[in-house]
Amino acid sequence: MPKHETPLMDELEKGPWPSFVSDLKRQAEKNPQCWDIVGQMELSFKDRMTHWKHGGIVGVFGYGGGIVGRYSDVPQQFPGVAHFHTVRLNQPSSKFYRTDILRKLCDLWERRGSGMTNFHGSTGDLILLGTRTEELEPLFYELTHDLEWDLGGSGSNLRTPACCIGKARCEWSCYDTQATCYGMTMKYQDEIHRPAFPYKFKFKFSGCANDCVAAIARSDLSAIGTWRDNIRINQDEVKKYITGDNVANGGGIPGKGEKFDIQKEVIDLCPTGCMWMEGDTLKIDDAECTRCMHCLNVMPKALRPGVDQGASIMMGAKAPILDGAQLGTLIVPFIKMDPDNEFEELVDVIEKCWDYWMEHGKNRERLGETIQRVGLPTFLRVMELEPIPQHVKEPRSNPYVFWREEEVEGGWQRDVKEFRAKHAQ
Amino acid sequence: MAMSIEELKEKIMEKALKGPKTQLYVKDFYACDPEAKPRAVKNAANDLVKEGKMVFWSSGSTTMYAAKERAQKEQE
Ligand code: HEM
Ligand code: HEM
Ligand code: SF4
Ligand code: SF4
Repeated sequence: MPKHETPLMDELEKGPWPSFVSDLKRQAEKNPQCWDIVGQMELSFKDRMTHWKHGGIVGVFGYGGGIVGRYSDVPQQFPGVAHFHTVRLNQPSSKFYRTDILRKLCDLWERRGSGMTNFHGSTGDLILLGTRTEELEPLFYELTHDLEWDLGGSGSNLRTPACCIGKARCEWSCYDTQATCYGMTMKYQDEIHRPAFPYKFKFKFSGCANDCVAAIARSDLSAIGTWRDNIRINQDEVKKYITGDNVANGGGIPGKGEKFDIQKEVIDLCPTGCMWMEGDTLKIDDAECTRCMHCLNVMPKALRPGVDQGASIMMGAKAPILDGAQLGTLIVPFIKMDPDNEFEELVDVIEKCWDYWMEHGKNRERLGETIQRVGLPTFLRVMELEPIPQHVKEPRSNPYVFWREEEVEGGWQRDVKEFRAKHAQ
Repeated sequence: MAMSIEELKEKIMEKALKGPKTQLYVKDFYACDPEAKPRAVKNAANDLVKEGKMVFWSSGSTTMYAAKERAQKEQE
């Protein structure tokens, strides 16, 4: 396959930053098929429309996910991308790879595909970009038998779960995000590989509210680490931050030549206003603290999460497809995340939610849209949870939680005459 | 009483072969046995894929089921 004239694509090689066009061209020297990717993209820029057709009956036998069919709609012009299927591989928890496995994977992919990869797609998976239908079964065989590597999720499946680096390296992790991610991946293999749902469903696991995998923005069910008791304060270390002996926020604050100001950088920025100084002692009203992590991030030597740790469960985040983008809504304020009981509390939440959504969710409706349609109060009843103030985003606009008749003593009936006898009109 | 898995699979095949649509969502099969749990219906449909009678059709974001012979005829 020859090189094409691509003046528009070439523009994307200018400037100081890395360029995927340069990467494509470098790969094309090895695998001429890649010239056709560059060529077809150039044509798309000119025509101002995509030349990819997507969808179809592609996949490996027995799997209803992991491979996304892509075809060119101008295959005569660009035969190298006539078939250009994407393969999603289930990345290891926190994306820890062994280099020998990566080398083997790259060798395999140069033989069986375009050699182009994407570490990682916005799904979290390791993405292999571009192969032909007849290569899929042999590729899958080698992946599973020689590399012991499985496909990830796509379509109306549970998508490949993802987690932050968690307890492997991060002192803030309030639960073992890797054990949880791996545990849920293994428990729900069937849901990952075979379509079970009205639409896609994603889990993401972050160890604290810094939320390094952006779970709250990107997953139908996110577990975000938190604690129930009090922030642990080391007052001596607080003082060292004040005197400048400790470096605040990893050196990010204060600016050059400025002195660290605890009032300005920490206390005034606490979103719930629950911190104050008494002399040189830092005080926190933990009942008001929303566990946002700001103060801990600025003064990690002085402040640590409490010891009664677990996770909050948010549901319903999604990107804009049918409706606008949505962040996750707090559903379960706190559960323990315990590998010793196989994450029993988490599994209970997941399955209650799935049972309802599988039955009542409309086709192509994300969980967040279902919750919006039926209303949060209805969904909380499904989840068998009592509404709490944290479920209300702001009074009067979102969402009203009403009493039901059976929850009110005497129901809706009352004796108006008796009421008026005491309350003049 | 929910019907047996085999009866359910028969109903699902019938719908996939003779129904008005070639590609069906898993939800479209729920009506084959209103008493069955959604997961039981999904498992029955997946059994049919394992047996080679049904195939998955996926756009990448959504996945649907189709009877194999009917889908292949249409793809040509
Ligand atoms: C210059 C005239 C007015 C000003 C500056 C004003 C300002 C305000 C403000 C600041 C609020 C609170 C909004 C919030 O909760 O965020 C409010 C609420 C309200 N105002 Fe006015 N207002 C004015 C005239 C009126 C008039 C003439 C009426 C009725 C005839 C009225 C009826 C209401 C009602 C019913 C609410 C409560 C709305 C709710 O519960 O969401 N206001 N007003
Ligand atoms: C067809 C006519 C009307 C409709 C459809 C209507 C609808 C509504 C709705 C949906 C709300 C919000 C209730 C809630 O979310 O709980 C509301 C609140 C309110 N409406 Fe109306 N309304 C109408 C007429 C009026 C009129 C004529 C007045 C006053 C003269 C009025 C005064 C208010 C007030 C004061 C509130 C706020 C109550 C609160 O904040 O607790 N409305 N209305
Ligand atoms: S989300 Fe929190 S626990 Fe996880 S890596 Fe980021 S800072 Fe650490
Ligand atoms: S974690 Fe956030 S809300 Fe809690 S005390 Fe620190 S800054 Fe305030």
